Amino acid sequence: MSLIEVNHLVKRYKGANVPAVDDISFAVEPGEFVAFLGPNGAGKTTTISILTTTLSLTSGEVKIAGFDVKHEARQVREHIGIIFQKPSLDPNLTAEENIRFHACLYGMCGYRPAFKLMSLAYRRRVLDLAEIVGIQDALFKPVKKLSGGMQRKLEIIRSLIHTPEVLFLDEPTQGLDPVSRRGLWDYINDVRRQYGTTIFLTTHYIDEAENVDKVCVINHGKIAICASPDEMKRSLLHQELILDAEQRDDLLDELTGLNLSYKANGQVVVPFSGTTAQEVIAGLKTPLNTLKIHEPSLEDAYVEFLHITGGAIQ
Amino acid sequence: MNDTLSVKRVTPVQGMITSKPVALARRKSKVSRELNAVSAVLAREITLFFKSPGTIIMSLAMPIIMMGMIGGNMMQNMSSGLGFQLGEFMLVGMLVNMLFMTTTMGMATLVDDHETDFNQEMLVSPVSRYSLVVGKILGASFAAIVSMAGTLIVGLIMGITLHIGQLLLILALSPLICLSGGALSMILIGLIKSKKTANFAVMIITMPQMFLSGAIIPISNSHGALLVLSRLMPMTYCLDLTRAVVYAGTPEYNSVVMFNPLINFAAIVGLTMACLIIGTYFFARTEKNR
Repeated sequence: MSLIEVNHLVKRYKGANVPAVDDISFAVEPGEFVAFLGPNGAGKTTTISILTTTLSLTSGEVKIAGFDVKHEARQVREHIGIIFQKPSLDPNLTAEENIRFHACLYGMCGYRPAFKLMSLAYRRRVLDLAEIVGIQDALFKPVKKLSGGMQRKLEIIRSLIHTPEVLFLDEPTQGLDPVSRRGLWDYINDVRRQYGTTIFLTTHYIDEAENVDKVCVINHGKIAICASPDEMKRSLLHQELILDAEQRDDLLDELTGLNLSYKANGQVVVPFSGTTAQEVIAGLKTPLNTLKIHEPSLEDAYVEFLHITGGAIQ
Repeated sequence: MNDTLSVKRVTPVQGMITSKPVALARRKSKVSRELNAVSAVLAREITLFFKSPGTIIMSLAMPIIMMGMIGGNMMQNMSSGLGFQLGEFMLVGMLVNMLFMTTTMGMATLVDDHETDFNQEMLVSPVSRYSLVVGKILGASFAAIVSMAGTLIVGLIMGITLHIGQLLLILALSPLICLSGGALSMILIGLIKSKKTANFAVMIITMPQMFLSGAIIPISNSHGALLVLSRLMPMTYCLDLTRAVVYAGTPEYNSVVMFNPLINFAAIVGLTMACLIIGTYFFARTEKNR
């Protein structure tokens, strides 16, 4: 059974002419790491909001861990954790008070008026998580005095305190510096390895989706493609050889003779597929002074895909 | 087992899970989880109260304005020919009014929670929406009870006193009164998304209650539309029940108390339940249906 099942989901906001999400279907298996990509306004946050029961759907069916989001919302909420696009912390409480509040709402421990009075298991879990994410020094400071990065890390801790089966991350690294971003992903990957947590991610940093199991691209409210990053890259882009030589004209003549297309702007770029770089180079006799292989990134494939399918929503 | 943990404990490698974290077991009983959620929401409100000097000052300043200034002025100018002591009548009115007004103001912080997206955090949790709202109302009641205490002190300074038994009975009724006020305010505040509108809504909710329910002006001679409005207001019954408790066994009872206490109690419970259901529905619906 899929952990997330979405069938013909439609969401039309009040007064909107077109649906924000228009008849989409997809499934996520237990333990999968799925990236849900798309340009601004494509329907990513709308979809994730419906999946996390914070927004009603117009039609269709969504099941999380076998529970219907419309009729069994409470059971769905038991199984999920979420990091919203905008921080949803109480700025006047301390970091630990925010975590304590969350843990109590999720029935993980009884409420006590001070950290010292909370259960040993709770205190240990909070301290462990705080150290791993690197906010142990800020744990007892008011949230309003923490940096954006620290607040994001705090939200990560909070979302994991009840060990959810599915973790929804709605642009979780927005506003984080590169070091914090990397630290966060190291931690999320560790959580995934250790607990087999299913992760459903939306992000604008396409490099964060390079190592996911599946990429789904939504555009104009419709799922445009659902494939592994490698499949997506292979279907859209070719590897490229970047070459140059002292006798560039000889090199270009050779490439033409081998029936290889090329672009010669600055350096000579030779896209290739159905063959290997070794085979291409073996056919060249002109001495090379530059030789590089360019592997297309997921971002290249994503941008190409949007270009082919009509581009981003403005 | 050593039950102490140092906050400054250090783990070996930052960024790595080096050992399996301690698992927190979920509570099994649904009732226990809901009560725990109510306690968490209530405790958050009390924590926020003590962290907000403005709220503390306002809770103490309101009794001076309401009882000291408005009440004092009315006592000096309107106390003749009533058949009962206006001071005691007004003190009870102000106590109930303070519970209603301060609870309503506390409920308006739901709009702050909406602005900081904290409502999302609450609404995505696996607890009943009623638990969230009841916790919020009880939390707002804390500030209300502080204001009530302030009103009693102002009354004492003005020479109006209640017996300890009367005070304890009022204190026992205060959670019901706060719940009633909070539930009523949910109907409007649950629909509001801006702070400016919320402040206006607090006035809309509290002012008519104060003047039409008999908090400071007797309403035994009201008629027409004002009579109908007064009978629709939960505060009317809260006030009458409180006065029934305070004036029980006194010669003024019949001049001051309008209804049988059982009728008052039933009306409070009925109106509170209705307001709570409608208000909670609006609150959850507006957050979810966009």
